[in-house]
Amino acid sequence: MRIILVTLALLTGPAVLAAEVDYILQVKPIFESRCASCHGVLAQKAKLRLDHGEFIRKGSSNGPVIVPGKNGKSLLIQAVLGQDRERMPPTKEGAPLTPAQVQILKQWIDEGARTPANEPLPADPTRHWAFQKPLRPPLPAAKLSANPIDRFLGPAMESRGLTPAPRAEKTTLLRRVYLDLVGVPPEPEDLRRFLADASPDAYEKLVDRLLQDPRHGERWARHWMDIWRYSDWYGRRNVPDVWNSAPQVWRWRDWIVQSLNRDLGYDQMVREMLAADEFKPGDDKASVATGFLVRNWYALNPNDWMRNIVEHTGKAFLGLTFNCAHCHDHKYDPIRQEDYFGFRAFFEPIYVRQDRMAGEADSGPFQDYDYSVLRKIQRLGMVRVFDKTPEAPTWFYTGGDERNRVKERGSIPPHVPAMFKQPPPRIDPVELPGEVISRALKSDIRATILADAQAALTVAEKELAQAPPLSPLEEKEAAKEKELPRLRAEVARQKVEAARAALADLSARLVAEEAAYAKPQPTNLGELKRQAARLEKLALAAKAQTELQQGEVALGEAKKLPEAKLKPAVDAANKRVTQAKAELQKVQAALKDPAQAEKYSPVSRVYPAKSSGRRKALAEWITSRENPLPARVAVNHIWNWHFHAPLVASIHDFGMNGKLPTHPELLDWLAVEFMDSGWNMKALHRLIVTSNAYQRGSTSGDISKDQENLFLARMNTGRMEAEVLRDSLLHCAGKLNYTMGGQELENTEALKTFRRSLYYSCFPEGGGKGVLGELFDGPDPLDCYRRSVSIVPQQALALTNSELIHQLSSELAVKLLSESRQTGAGFIQLAYERILSRPPSKAEVEACASFLGRPGDDKTRAALVRVLFNHNDFLSIR
Amino acid sequence: MNLPSIQAGRRTFLADCGMGFTGLALGAMLAEDGVAREPLGPTGQTHHLPRARSVVWIFLSGGYSHLETFDPKPALNQFAGKTFDKTPFENPVNSPLHKKRFRSVPAEEINIRDVYPTIYPMQVGWKKHGQSGIEITDWWPHLARQVDDLCFLRNIWTTDNDHAAENQIHTGRHKLDEPQPSIGAWAHYGLGTLNANLPKFAVIGGPSRPDTRQSIDSLYLGPQHAGVPLIIDAKNPLPFGTRPASQTQAEQIREYQLIHRLNTLAAVEYPDDKELLARIRSYEMAFRMQESVPEAMNFTRETLRTTRLYGMDNPATRVAGENLLAARRLVERGVRFVQVFPSTYGVWDSHQKLKDNHTRLCATVDLPVAGFLMDMKQRGLMDDAVVVFCTEFGRTPGLELRGGGKDGRDHHPNGFTIWMAGAGLKKGHVHGATDELGYNALGDGHYVTDIHATVLHLLGLDLRKLEVPGRKRIDMDHGKVIQEVLA
Repeated sequence: MRIILVTLALLTGPAVLAAEVDYILQVKPIFESRCASCHGVLAQKAKLRLDHGEFIRKGSSNGPVIVPGKNGKSLLIQAVLGQDRERMPPTKEGAPLTPAQVQILKQWIDEGARTPANEPLPADPTRHWAFQKPLRPPLPAAKLSANPIDRFLGPAMESRGLTPAPRAEKTTLLRRVYLDLVGVPPEPEDLRRFLADASPDAYEKLVDRLLQDPRHGERWARHWMDIWRYSDWYGRRNVPDVWNSAPQVWRWRDWIVQSLNRDLGYDQMVREMLAADEFKPGDDKASVATGFLVRNWYALNPNDWMRNIVEHTGKAFLGLTFNCAHCHDHKYDPIRQEDYFGFRAFFEPIYVRQDRMAGEADSGPFQDYDYSVLRKIQRLGMVRVFDKTPEAPTWFYTGGDERNRVKERGSIPPHVPAMFKQPPPRIDPVELPGEVISRALKSDIRATILADAQAALTVAEKELAQAPPLSPLEEKEAAKEKELPRLRAEVARQKVEAARAALADLSARLVAEEAAYAKPQPTNLGELKRQAARLEKLALAAKAQTELQQGEVALGEAKKLPEAKLKPAVDAANKRVTQAKAELQKVQAALKDPAQAEKYSPVSRVYPAKSSGRRKALAEWITSRENPLPARVAVNHIWNWHFHAPLVASIHDFGMNGKLPTHPELLDWLAVEFMDSGWNMKALHRLIVTSNAYQRGSTSGDISKDQENLFLARMNTGRMEAEVLRDSLLHCAGKLNYTMGGQELENTEALKTFRRSLYYSCFPEGGGKGVLGELFDGPDPLDCYRRSVSIVPQQALALTNSELIHQLSSELAVKLLSESRQTGAGFIQLAYERILSRPPSKAEVEACASFLGRPGDDKTRAALVRVLFNHNDFLSIR
Repeated sequence: MNLPSIQAGRRTFLADCGMGFTGLALGAMLAEDGVAREPLGPTGQTHHLPRARSVVWIFLSGGYSHLETFDPKPALNQFAGKTFDKTPFENPVNSPLHKKRFRSVPAEEINIRDVYPTIYPMQVGWKKHGQSGIEITDWWPHLARQVDDLCFLRNIWTTDNDHAAENQIHTGRHKLDEPQPSIGAWAHYGLGTLNANLPKFAVIGGPSRPDTRQSIDSLYLGPQHAGVPLIIDAKNPLPFGTRPASQTQAEQIREYQLIHRLNTLAAVEYPDDKELLARIRSYEMAFRMQESVPEAMNFTRETLRTTRLYGMDNPATRVAGENLLAARRLVERGVRFVQVFPSTYGVWDSHQKLKDNHTRLCATVDLPVAGFLMDMKQRGLMDDAVVVFCTEFGRTPGLELRGGGKDGRDHHPNGFTIWMAGAGLKKGHVHGATDELGYNALGDGHYVTDIHATVLHLLGLDLRKLEVPGRKRIDMDHGKVIQEVLA
C-alpha cells in the first residue's frame, strides 16, 4: 500500500505538490532507492548516512547537508543538482534524480526537514536472518502427527483457522509419490498392490522402495542439474566449434545420478563439485564432479568463465548474489566489490584438463583456444579442473569490463565477505600423487599403455611369422635386385625388434617415473632413471633402424620404376635413408653422452605437483556447519521440488533483498536436522513425503483464508516437467528404455528413441531442448533456479497431433485391448489405471463409452488413449 | 471454425462450477489470450497512448556495410588508399569513443581483431533521392523511391565486434554480460494480443543458427513470451499445427470434445485449480490455431500483382518476398511483433569481395522490402505499424587485411545505420551522422537499446515499467527514446 501511494506522489508533478511533503511516504523512498547504497547501513561515503533522520541531520564529513527551511543553502540539493560539485548520485551510478524528486526534497527542506521521532533504525545487515547460524528450534507439541513438519505447520494453520484437507485418496497419493520420487507413474499392478495393502506402514514401505529405486537418482539428478546449470557443449553447434562446456561433461551428469542413488551426503557432493581434485586426488570417479566448473568453461575469454563460476557458486550453494557486486559494492548485502574478486580468486588458478580413460585411445591434451582453429568435439577421455597456475593473480576491474584493470590495487587474495562470523577459509596447498602429475602412472592407464605396446609387438610378430620364406627363385632374384626380397624380410624382423624395444622402454620409463614421484624416493632411483634413459634411446634407435631399412627397401623399389617416375621416387627414398641415418647417429651419440644418461621423456603430459588448496578451503568453508546458508538453501530446493512451492520464494537469493521464509522455524529445524543427518538427502525426502502435509488432498472447499496456500492446509498441484511428461508418456506405453548413463543423445532423436529424457542434449542454443522441452518449460541451462510453468496452445497441439503421440496411443490401445480382453468398460478401466493411475468415475466411464461406441474399433480406442494423455490429470501431479 | 458443442460444454461448465469470485478473476486473467501468467506480470495495458499496434523488425544477418548502403562517404573515395592519419580529419581510432564502443568477446590476450587504417573506397555510387534528397547507394533502386517515407538513423553503435552482436541488437547485452530477453519478448510480455488465435510474437525465416536463438528468446520472462518461428508452408506452418493425415476433421473434433468433457468433469472436482481452467481454454485455442495459422501463411488468395510486388516471381527475390508477405499478413491479422530474417545467417558478412556480395544480396532484398512498404502503405497498415530495418553492425572504412584481404571490410560496431518507418515516425528524415570517414557515430549516438526504447514507446510501453522483480536491469538495458525521430 505504501509503495502505491508513493508512486502516485511521484507521478504528480511539482505543480500539484501543494500539501506538506510526507517524509516517510515521499522523501525516504528517494533516499532508499537512490542514495542509501553509498550513504546507508552498508557504506557511509563521506561519512554520510541518509537512511534515518538522525543521521541526515548529523551530516557528512563536509558538514551539515541540510539547512532546514533553506533548500538553496542545503548541500544535499546542490549535490543532487550537481551545482559546483560532482552530481549525486554519480553518473556511473545511474541517472540524476527527476525534477519531481528534487522538488520533493526541496519542499521537504523548506518545510523544516522534519522526520518522525519513532522512525525505526535501519536493520543491521549482519543481523539478517539468513546470516545467523540456524539453531534447532524446540519442536511444538505433537497433536495429530508426530512428524516434525506437521508439528511446525499445525499451530500456524490452527491460528489462522485453517482446517487441513483430509489425506489424499490412495490412488492420488501413489501417483504423486511415484512421480515425485522416480519420475514416472506407477504400473496398474503397483496400484492394485498398494490398494490391497492394508498394513499401517504400507505407504512408508512404498517410500523406502522408491528411494532405493535406481530411477530415483535419475529423477532427482535432473532437479539438481537445473540448479547446477548442467549443459552439454555448445558455442557454435552447427559448425561445429566447441566454445562452452565440454563434450565429455556428461560424466558429471552420471556422477550426479550415481551419487544420489548411493546417498552421498549433500555436503560431500558440493565439496567434490568444487574441488574433488584436491579432496580426492587421483579419484577419477569423484573428479568428474568438477564438471560443475568445467560446464562454465568459455574458450574465448577466461573472465567469462570466472564470472559464471562466481555467480552460480554463490547462488546455487549459498543463496548469495555475488554477481551484484561485480560492478559495485552490493546494494543490499554486505558484499563489497572487493569481495567479488576475493571470491573469484579461489578459482583463479584453475584450468581444464583432459585425461585419458582406461581401455580407450589417448584423447590428447585439452584443446586450447586459437582463433584460427576450430575446437573439436572430443569424445574420448574425461574432463576435470586442476590448478594450472597456483599463484595466478586476480585483478580488480571496474564497470564489469576486465579491460579496466586496477593494477594499483595489486592481486586480490582469496577471501570471503567479512560479514560471516565463522572462521575464514584456511588455505593449505595440496601435494598431488605421481599418478595425478603423470596420468600414465595410474594403474589402469599404465595397463592400457603397456597393453597397447604388447599388442603392437604381437602384430609385428604375427606379420613376421606370416612372411613366407624366400623361394629358390626369389633367392635368385634377390641377387639381381640387390637383395630386395631379403631386405623386405629383414624389415619385418626389425619391426619386431622395434616393438619389443618400445615395450621395454615404456615399462622402464613408467618404473622410473613412478619412483621419481614416490615419497620417499627409492634409493635406486638413479639406476632406474639410467635404465629408462637407456631403454628409451634404444627404442628410438630401433625405430630409426626400422625406418632406415624401410628407406632402403623403398630405394630398391624406386630403382625398378620406369624412367619417368624414377627420379622423384629415388630422391624421396634417399632422403628417407639419409634422415634415418642421421637420427640413428643422433641416438647413438646420445647413448654415449653422459649428460643424457638420466634423461628420458615422460610417458604422458606432466601436470603440476601441487594444487593451491584454494577451492578445497572454500568448499570446506561452504559446507561447514558454521556456515549459516548452505543447509537452508539446500532444504529449500528440496522442499520446493516436493511441494511445488519453496519456503523461501527467492530461491537463489537469501540476502537482504530476498524474500523471508514463510516458515522460518520449520526451515531452520529442517536445516539443522539435515546437517545432523550427515546432509542425507534420502532421509530428508523420507521425512517430507511421510508428513501429513505432503499426504493431504489437493482439493479444498475454501481457499479464501490462504489463497496462496502458504500454510499447506492442502497439497499444491504440480505440473509434470517436460522430462517427466515425456518419460511418463513412454513409460505408460511400455516404450521407455531404462538404460542408464552415457554420452548425451541428440534432441532430434528424442521423439524416435526412448531413453530417459535427462540423457538428451541440454544446452543454451537453438536445438538445446527437445521439442517437448521447448513447449513444456524445459530448463534454461543458463539460469534455472526455478522452473516456470506455462500453458500455451502449442502444448495441446503437440499432444494431439504429433507423430509420437499417435504412435504411442495406437500401440498402447492394442496392448490394453489384449490385456483387458474387453472393448468397453473393461478397456476404459484399464486405460484409466494405466495412464491416470486411478479408476474412472461413473460419469467418465459414460463419456468414454459413448465416445468409443459399440463395438468400437482400434482407431477410436487409440483416440481414447490419446484423450487420456491429454487429460489435465495426466499432466498434473495432484 | 466453430465448435458448437464445446461452446455448449463451456456453459455447462460455468454452471457446474458456480463460477464464483475466483472464476471471475481468472476469467479476466485469461480473457486475453488463454495464456496463464504469473500474477506479477503486467496486465497487457499500455503505459501511455500507443502510436502503433504492431512491429515488423527486419534483420539482415552478417552486418551490411553502412557505407555502401545508407551512409555513403565521399571522403572514402577522396582519400582511398591513404591511412587515417594521412587525412585532414582527426584519426577516428584515437577518439575516446573508439574504446567505449568496441569490446571484443575474446580476452585481450587472444583477440586478433585489428583496426584497419587504410581507407578503402566506396564500392558503389550514390545519389540523392526523393523530395527529401536523402542519399543512398545505387544498389537500392527500389527502396530509393521510398526514401520520403523512411527515417534513417546514421548514428547507431553497438559494442561487440563479432557476430554475437546479432544477439546484442535484439537483447541489448554484450555476449560477456548477463543475457537478457529479446525486444520481441518484451513487447509480447508488455502487450495484450489483437488476435488470440495467432502467436503474438512471430518469427519468419530464422534465426537460422542455433547460436542466435537468443535473438528471439524470452529467458526469465517465461517461454510463453518467446518468439514462435513460423514456416512458410500453408500446410504445416507451425510444429504440430496440423492433424495427421490419418485423422479426419470430424474425428479430431470428437477427440477435442472428449478432452473438453473430461477436463470439465475434473474441474468440478478441483474448482480452485486455475491451471486446469487455463488448460481447457488452451485446447480451444489450439483447435482454432490449426485453422488460423495456416490461413495466415496461405498466399493463394493474394493477387498476382501483389506477389509480383514482393518479387515472388523471381528466384532471387522470392525468399525475402515470401517472408515479407507473411509479415504483412500477420500484421494484418493482429500479430504484435513480427521478426523477419530475409537472409540467412551471416551472409552479409563481407570480409572479402564486398562488391560482389552486396551487389548480389541487395538485389535479393531491395525490391521485396520496397514492395512490402508500398503494400503496407496502400492497405493503410503503415498507420498502425512500425517497420525497423537493421543489421548487427556496420563495416570498417578501412580495408580488411586479414588473410591477405584486398576487397572487403571487417566488422564495425562503432557506427552504423538502420532505418525505421511507419506510425509515429518522421518521414524522409535523417537522424544523426558518423564522422567524415564513417567511423564513429558522432556525439552520444545511440546504443542499440535506444531503438528498443523507441519501438516500445511507439507501442505505448515504457521498458522501465516492465521490470521483473528480482531481475536487475540497468540504464543501458532500458535505452532512451529517440525523441528526434518521432513525428
